[in-house]
Amino acid sequence: MSGSPLIVLDRVCKQYGTTPVLRDCSLAVARGEIVVVCGPSGSGKSTLIKTVNGLEPYQSGSVRFDGEEVGARGTDLPRLRARIGMVFQSFELYPHMTALRNVMLAQVHALGRSRAEARERALALLARVGLTERAEAYPADLSGGQQQRVAIARALALDPVAMLFDEPTSALDPEMINEVLDVMTALARDGMTMVVVTHEMGFARKVADRVVFMDEGRIVEDRPAAEFFAAPATERAKTFLSKIIAH
Amino acid sequence: MSYQFDWSQVWQHRDLILDGLLVTIALSVAALVPTLIVGMLIGTLGASTSRAGRVAAGLYVETMRNVPLLIHMYVWYMALAFLRLPAFLCAVLGLTLYSSAYVAELVRAGIAAVPRGQARAAAASGLRPWQVQVLVVYPQALRIVAPSLASLASQLVKDSSLASVIAVAELSYQAGAIEGQTFRTFEVYITIAVLYIALVLLISFAIDHVPGLRARRPIARIADA
Amino acid sequence: MPEPVLAAVVPEVIRDNLPFLAAGFAMTLRLAAVGIVGGSLVGLLLGLLRHAEIPVLSRLAALYIEIVRGTPLLVVLFVCYFAIPALAGYRTTAVAAASLGFVLFIAAYLAEDVRSGLRSVPSGLVRAGLATGLTRWQAFRLIVLPQALRRIIPPVFSQYVRLLKFTSVASVIGVRELTGSALLVNAREFQPVAIIATAAVTYLVVCSGLSLVGRLLDARLSIRT
Ligand SMILES: Nc1ncnc2c1ncn2[C@@H]1O[C@H](COP(=O)(O)OP(=O)(O)OP(=O)(O)O)[C@@H](O)[C@H]1O
Ligand SMILES: [Mg+2]
Repeated sequence: MSGSPLIVLDRVCKQYGTTPVLRDCSLAVARGEIVVVCGPSGSGKSTLIKTVNGLEPYQSGSVRFDGEEVGARGTDLPRLRARIGMVFQSFELYPHMTALRNVMLAQVHALGRSRAEARERALALLARVGLTERAEAYPADLSGGQQQRVAIARALALDPVAMLFDEPTSALDPEMINEVLDVMTALARDGMTMVVVTHEMGFARKVADRVVFMDEGRIVEDRPAAEFFAAPATERAKTFLSKIIAH
Repeated sequence: MSYQFDWSQVWQHRDLILDGLLVTIALSVAALVPTLIVGMLIGTLGASTSRAGRVAAGLYVETMRNVPLLIHMYVWYMALAFLRLPAFLCAVLGLTLYSSAYVAELVRAGIAAVPRGQARAAAASGLRPWQVQVLVVYPQALRIVAPSLASLASQLVKDSSLASVIAVAELSYQAGAIEGQTFRTFEVYITIAVLYIALVLLISFAIDHVPGLRARRPIARIADA
Repeated sequence: MPEPVLAAVVPEVIRDNLPFLAAGFAMTLRLAAVGIVGGSLVGLLLGLLRHAEIPVLSRLAALYIEIVRGTPLLVVLFVCYFAIPALAGYRTTAVAAASLGFVLFIAAYLAEDVRSGLRSVPSGLVRAGLATGLTRWQAFRLIVLPQALRRIIPPVFSQYVRLLKFTSVASVIGVRELTGSALLVNAREFQPVAIIATAAVTYLVVCSGLSLVGRLLDARLSIRT
């Protein structure tokens, strides 16, 4: 089993009404692989990664996670989602709970861990993302970068086998981007399987194994990172890259 | 359930019900006008830069709205009976003092919600302070609070039912009178409930069709009080 | 308070009738407590129904809320005391009818607050909860509901205060709460100024106290974002 890819998308199609959002998207991510997804706004990147943990239903094709069909009727989605960590652009920390309780919540209620165990694990993860002193702070009292690191700790607390990131740094002030990217880089070095939607090409160049380029709901390019950056195969990707790197 | 419905008795007394309805409307209008005026004045005071003014406005609001409307009515009708005010006027005074506190709080919040830069920009363009207030601040504040003011108006119509306890012959009073004569308890009270609901719906319908009033969401449900 | 101070502040007619008035005041608190507890439970249920968008039930809840919000409290009490018992053929007491009326009345207003609180929680938070493996019900219970309830503390407490004031209306159907007892004492002693003023001050103090509790609770529990 460990030889086969962890995440497999096979000709996934999705539309809102009559507008297609994903068209025949196929993608395979092996264990330990880091895949960066990029592309213009509205090209379907968020939709694509949300199909992996079943937050986004699709009309045809198949999405498999660790051999299990995500869209199948009998799939226990909560159990599946607990094995996949997800980090959002706007953090989505629970504002009525401290950082610590944010990281504890799903451990207790989704995994059934004891409070003591969950607390210990949460403190360890907050230490790992450099936020030991802020454990009792509420989200409103944390900077954007700190909030996003708490969100990463919250996802890691469930001991996921893969992590999905949806533009984790694009709501951050420039000086906070690196503190989040550093945490993500360390995670990648530890062998986590990661699918990252981002426009941080420096991060992609340094960490990604592969780059996927999307446009108008299609996966236009899917190539090893080095190749992609050396010379994108399509005109669209070339223009996109030059625009991003220009500023 | 062995209750025998008989709506004919209600119909026979339709003139009383109509009288009551007209008095309810007259009382509501008579109270609404001074309520809005007093509320605007006190609300403006509450949003003013004068500390004494804000304290005075706050005291007025807290005192008036923390005393039940029924007590307000008894104050004018019983405690100050030596003034010999007609019951209708007592009801108008009670409703005005009570409801104006809510209007004042609403107006104060509305003025506070207008960005400060607006008044500054208006002053910078050479308008006098009263012009700034009347031409720039009020129109924006009122638009913000319009939906809440509308629900305060329907509240006032419903509250006017309490005037029946001081013998103002409005709708609820007539209901009691008809019920006393006919014993058609259920029919009478359901009828007047429906009439009140119709009045309230009429107000919200009217508000919805005045252009410019409907667009914004209420800043708070202060009006539900 | 020492005896001479009490004598100076509290009018003689009040001191003479203190046990009777105190019993009335206790009834006021009892009615308010029943209304607050019962109304909150029913209001929560109605608000959840409205929010859940269950085909028929949500519509019925909406209809109930609109009807009650369009009806004056006085009429709601009449319906509970006279109309429903007449229709259903049972006997009731004024206290029981008033309690029922307060619960049914205030629940309709609280339901709207609950619903707007539930709607104010961003859907992204639910998605984040689902992504960590919580079920829909867990996400609702652990993420949406606690935030909604904490956000609506101010409007909910203003409804509680409103209910406390409105318990005075129970005097109209013969309940001996504070207002009812005050009126009875006045009928015997005929000192309306002292008696009405005492009732007014008592309501003022209790209502201000309850709204202070609301403000303190909100300061402690409100969610900063
Ligand atoms: N609820 C919805 N209803 C209709 N269309 C939607 C909905 N959500 C997304 N879309 C459309 O689907 C397309 C893909 O959206 P998606 O969020 O996946 O794009 P994206 O690549 O993540 O863009 P961005 O870089 O702006 O985040 C867009 O054209 C968007 O307008
Ligand atoms: Mg996106």
